[in-house]
Amino acid sequence: MDEEPERAKRWEGGYERTWEVLKEDESGSLKATVDDILFQAKRKRVFEGHGQVRLGMMRHLFVIIDSSRSMEDQDLKPNRLTSTLKLMEFFVEEYFDQNPISQIGIITTKNKRAEKLTDLAGNPKKHIAALKKAVDGTCVGEPSLYNSLNVAMQTLKHMPAHTSKEILVIFSSLTTCDPANIYELIKTLNALKIRVSVIGLSAEVRVCTILTRETGGSYNVILDESHFKELLMLHVKPPPASSSSECSLIRMGFPQHVIASISDQDAKPSFSMSHLDSTSEPGLTLGGYFCPQCRAKYTELPVECKVCGLTLVSAPHLARSFHHLFPLEAFQETPLEEYEGERFCEACQGELKDKSIFTCQACKKVFCVECDLFIHDTLHCCPGCPQPPI
Amino acid sequence: FRLNIEGLLVYFPYDYIYPEQYSYMLELKRTLDAKGHGVLEMPSGTGKTISLLSLIVAYQKAYPLEVTKLVYCSRTVPEIEKVVEELRKLMDYYAKQTGVKNDFLALALSSRKNLCIHPEILHANIVVYSYHYLLDPKIADLVSKELAKKSVVVFDEAHNIDNVCIDSMSVNITRRTLDRCQTNVETLQNTISRIKETDAAKLREEYRRLVEGLKEANVARETDIYLSNPVLPDEILQEAVPGSIRTAEHFVGFIKRFLEYLKARLRIHHVVQESAPQFLKDIYEKVCIDRKPLRFCAERLRSLLRTLEIADIADFSAITLISHFATLVSTYSKGFTIIIEPFEDRTPTIANPVLHFSCMDPSIAIKPVFGRFQSVIITSGTLSPLDIYPRILDFRPVTMASFTMTLARTCLCPLIVGRGNDQVAMTSKFETREDFAVIRNYGNLLLEMSAIVPDGIVAFFTSYIYMENIVASWYEQGILENIQRNKLIFIETQDAAETSMALEKYQEACENGRGAILLSVARGKVSEGIDFVHHFGRAVIMFGVPYVYTQSRILKARLEYLRDQFQIRENDFLTFDAMRHAAQCVGRAIRGKTDYGLMIFADKRYARADKRGKLPRWIQEHLTDGSLNLTIDETVQLSKHFLRQMAQPFRREDQLGLSLLTLEQLQSEDMLQKIAQIAQQA
Repeated sequence: MDEEPERAKRWEGGYERTWEVLKEDESGSLKATVDDILFQAKRKRVFEGHGQVRLGMMRHLFVIIDSSRSMEDQDLKPNRLTSTLKLMEFFVEEYFDQNPISQIGIITTKNKRAEKLTDLAGNPKKHIAALKKAVDGTCVGEPSLYNSLNVAMQTLKHMPAHTSKEILVIFSSLTTCDPANIYELIKTLNALKIRVSVIGLSAEVRVCTILTRETGGSYNVILDESHFKELLMLHVKPPPASSSSECSLIRMGFPQHVIASISDQDAKPSFSMSHLDSTSEPGLTLGGYFCPQCRAKYTELPVECKVCGLTLVSAPHLARSFHHLFPLEAFQETPLEEYEGERFCEACQGELKDKSIFTCQACKKVFCVECDLFIHDTLHCCPGCPQPPI
Repeated sequence: FRLNIEGLLVYFPYDYIYPEQYSYMLELKRTLDAKGHGVLEMPSGTGKTISLLSLIVAYQKAYPLEVTKLVYCSRTVPEIEKVVEELRKLMDYYAKQTGVKNDFLALALSSRKNLCIHPEILHANIVVYSYHYLLDPKIADLVSKELAKKSVVVFDEAHNIDNVCIDSMSVNITRRTLDRCQTNVETLQNTISRIKETDAAKLREEYRRLVEGLKEANVARETDIYLSNPVLPDEILQEAVPGSIRTAEHFVGFIKRFLEYLKARLRIHHVVQESAPQFLKDIYEKVCIDRKPLRFCAERLRSLLRTLEIADIADFSAITLISHFATLVSTYSKGFTIIIEPFEDRTPTIANPVLHFSCMDPSIAIKPVFGRFQSVIITSGTLSPLDIYPRILDFRPVTMASFTMTLARTCLCPLIVGRGNDQVAMTSKFETREDFAVIRNYGNLLLEMSAIVPDGIVAFFTSYIYMENIVASWYEQGILENIQRNKLIFIETQDAAETSMALEKYQEACENGRGAILLSVARGKVSEGIDFVHHFGRAVIMFGVPYVYTQSRILKARLEYLRDQFQIRENDFLTFDAMRHAAQCVGRAIRGKTDYGLMIFADKRYARADKRGKLPRWIQEHLTDGSLNLTIDETVQLSKHFLRQMAQPFRREDQLGLSLLTLEQLQSEDMLQKIAQIAQQA
C-alpha cells in the first residue's frame, strides 16, 4: 500500500464538499464523534460475525431501486441514479462471487408504480446488462414503497422455507405514494419471514425505520459515495438465518466440465440450455457442463437445471460460500500505549500509529486497524498463522 | 441510585443521569438552602421534572421542619399527568430502597371533574395542580389559601407566567355577560324573597355576621394560615361590610344599579380608555355608587351565595365576574386600565362592545405567592433572557441559572436564513411583508426543505392573517402544488376541532411515509402545548419574527406601564416576547437527547445580536457564525449534511460517559468540573 487508505477515503468522500468537512472540524466535535461512532460500528460488524451462527446461504434477494424524481439529485456524481446503478453492477458481481448458490432480482419504482427489471435469477450477466440499460431511463414521479414491496413479495413467498428471503431497498425519495396501509404489508412480510433492509440516500424516514425493525433488516443512510459503497457491500455477506427457518437437505449436481477441441472427431457441437432465452451468445459450442441427472448442457455455473430442476454448482463455489460459516475469530483490540513489542503491522509492515492495535488470538501477531478490517472482510484467514499442512 | 448533593442524600429512580440534571439539582438545593426564589432554565427533554421532584422530596425528608410541602404547578392536564407519573416512579423507588412504607401523601388536582377542595390538601406533602389554583384569585381562594408558609412552590413551563398572571386579574365584560348577570340578579331576588318567607332567621344571622365584620378572616391571615387573596386586600379585613349593602335586598339593588351603569357605558360609538380612579369618579357622579361598597362586592356576594345555599355556583359565573370587577376596580388605583371598545378591530361594522378591565402588572397576581412562600422556583425550557422575569414579576431571586444540554452528538441545528437565492432579504417586517419577492422566497424555502427533510415539517407564521395571505399567494404562484408533490399540507385554524383533526392527519402522514407539513401560528395552540417528537418534527421553520400585534390598545397600555414602572423599553419587551415565542416554537422539535431536528429561523433580523442574544443558551450555543444570514441554497446544503449525519446509527453506549452518566462516572473529578460549567449564572 503506497498510500494511507484513510487519507484516500477522506479525499474521495469530501471532494465535492471539502469546505463542510473543514467547518465541522473547526466548530467542534461533530465530525469527529460521528466518525468515531462509525468506526465503532465497523468494528462491531467484525465482532458480530464471530461465533457459531447459522447463516442463510441460499439467498433470494430482491433489490428495489428507487427511480423517482429525487434520483436526479446531483449530490452523488453525476447523479444519484447513475451512481447507484454503477455501484449496483459492482454489487451484483460481488454478490455472486460470495454467494454462488443464491439468486437476485431487480425491481424499479417510479411514478407510483413498481416494475421488475429482472426476475430472480442466478446469472450476473443478465442483471448487469439490465442495469446498464437502465441508466438511460428517466426518473419521474414519486416511488411507491408498498407496490414495490408487494411485487417482491409475490415472488418471494413461493420460495422454499430453507432459503433466506431478502429485500434490499435503495430509497432516495423521502416520500412514498401507497395505495393501502403499509403497516399491514409489513405484518405480512414479517409473517412470511422476508427480511427487508433499506439504504437511504438522503435522510432517515420513519416508515423505513419501522419496516426494517419489524422485519429484522438493517437501515442505514449514506454519508457520501464511498460510504454508500461500504453499506452496499454489507449486504454481500449472507445474513444469519432465523432459528425458526427450516433445515433441509438439498440435492445438488456437480457437473464436470467437458472440454473438447475441434480436432477431436467425437466431439459434437451442441446448444446450451441457457441459449434458450438469449440470442446474443454464439449458438453451437463443443464443451460445457452437463447435468449429471438429465445431461442437459450449460456453459456457465451456477445454474438451476431447466430440465430437471437440479441445482448445478461447482465445488469451488460451494467452498467459497463456506468461509462465511467459519469466520476468522475477531482480533483482540488493545490500546497502543499498552503494547510493548515492535511497532510494525505484521501484514502491511507499516508503523502502528492508530490509537489501538489488534492481536490475533491464535498466533499473537499484531495488526493495524486497516489490515484487521482487510483480513476479516476480504482475506478471511490470518496471514500470520502458520498454514495448516496440506 | 443514590446521589450526594452537597451533603444531601437524594434518591434518583433511574440508572443513568444526565450531567445537567445533577447541575440543576445543585442549583435547586442552594436555592432551598437560602430560602429564596429561583429562576432556572433547562432545555426540555433533559429530565427537569424528575430532578425537581427527587431533590425536593429528598430535601423534605432530610429537613422536615424547613420544608413541609411541595406545590408543583404546571400548565395543562397532560403535563400534570406526566408529573404524577414521574412522582409515582420516585415513590416506588423510595419504597424499594428504604423498605419503609411510603408516608408521603401526594395529591394531584387536574381537571375540574377531579376538583377536590377537601381539607386533606392541608396534610398532603406534595400537591400537583394547575397554575390557576394558585394565581387565579377566583380559584385560589377555594383551593390554595390554606397552604403552609414553609412550602416550596414550583412553576413549571413558566415562560408565559406573566401572561397567566395578567389574564387571571383581567376581566372582559361584553353585552352577553351583562345579560346573563341580569338573569342571575333576578334569580337571586326570587330566592331571597322565598327564603324571607320561609326562613327569615337565616338572613338575619348573615346580617349579624356581616356586622361583626370579617374579623375571623383577618385573624386567620395574621396567624399565617391563609394565603392572602389579591382580590381581598388587607384593609378590607379590618372593616365591616358597609351598611348600604349589608342586607340581601339592598345588595341586590346595589348590583342592579351597578349593572345598569355598565350597560350605559357599553352603549358607545368610540373607544374610551380610562384609569380606575376616573372610572370611580364617573360612577359616583352618574349613579352615586361609592368606592367603599364596591370594594366589598366580591366578599358580599360570596357570603350571600353561601347563605342562600346555592349549590351550582357555575350558573352564577356572570355575576361573580361582575363582583370581582367591582372589587378590583375599586381596590387598585394603579396597574390597571379600562378600555371600552364599541367593536372589534377586524369587524368595524358589527357592534360588539367590550369592556376590558385589563391588568398591566403581572406582579399583582403573583405578589402574594412570592410574599408568602419561602421558596418559589420558576422554571422552563425557554426563559431567556433570565433577568427580565424578576423585573416584570417584581421579585428578587437568589439563583438565576441557565443550563445547556450536554450532547454526544449535535442533535439540533439552528440556521438563520436571511436571503433568497436571488439575494433579496427575507423578513416579515411590516413594510416588506406584502412584497412579492419575499413571499416567493418564503415559498421557495418551504419547497426546498420539503424535498430534503424526511417525514414532518412544522412551519410557524407570525399570525393567522399573515398565514392566510401568504398561503393564498403561494397558491396563485403554483408553489403549493409543487410542495404537495413532496409532502401533504395541513393548516392550523382558529377552530379547535378542525385543528386537532388536521393534527391527527398530519401525524398519520408522518407515520406512513408520505410526509407532511403543518402550517401553524406562533402563539397558537400548536406552538404551545403540542410536542413534535422524532419524525413528527424533523424541522421547524419560523417564518418571520413573531411580534405580538402591536396595534392592540391593551398592549399599548401595558407597554406604557412597563416603561413607566419598570423602566423596560417598549422595544426590549416586544423583542423579548417575540423571541420567547420563537424559541417555544422551534423548541417543539427537540424533546430529548435521542431526538434531532433542524431549527430554521427565516428572517434576516434573527441574525442581529439583540434578537439572537435573547434565545435560550442551549440554542445559541449551536448557532455559529457560519449559520447566520444564509441563502436558501446554503441552508439546503447544511440541512442535507446534518440530516445524513443524524441518520447514522446512534446507540445508548455512545452517550454514556458524555451526556449520560452512571454513578461512578458522575463522581469522577473531571466530570464534576465539567458539570460546573453547565450552569451559567445570569
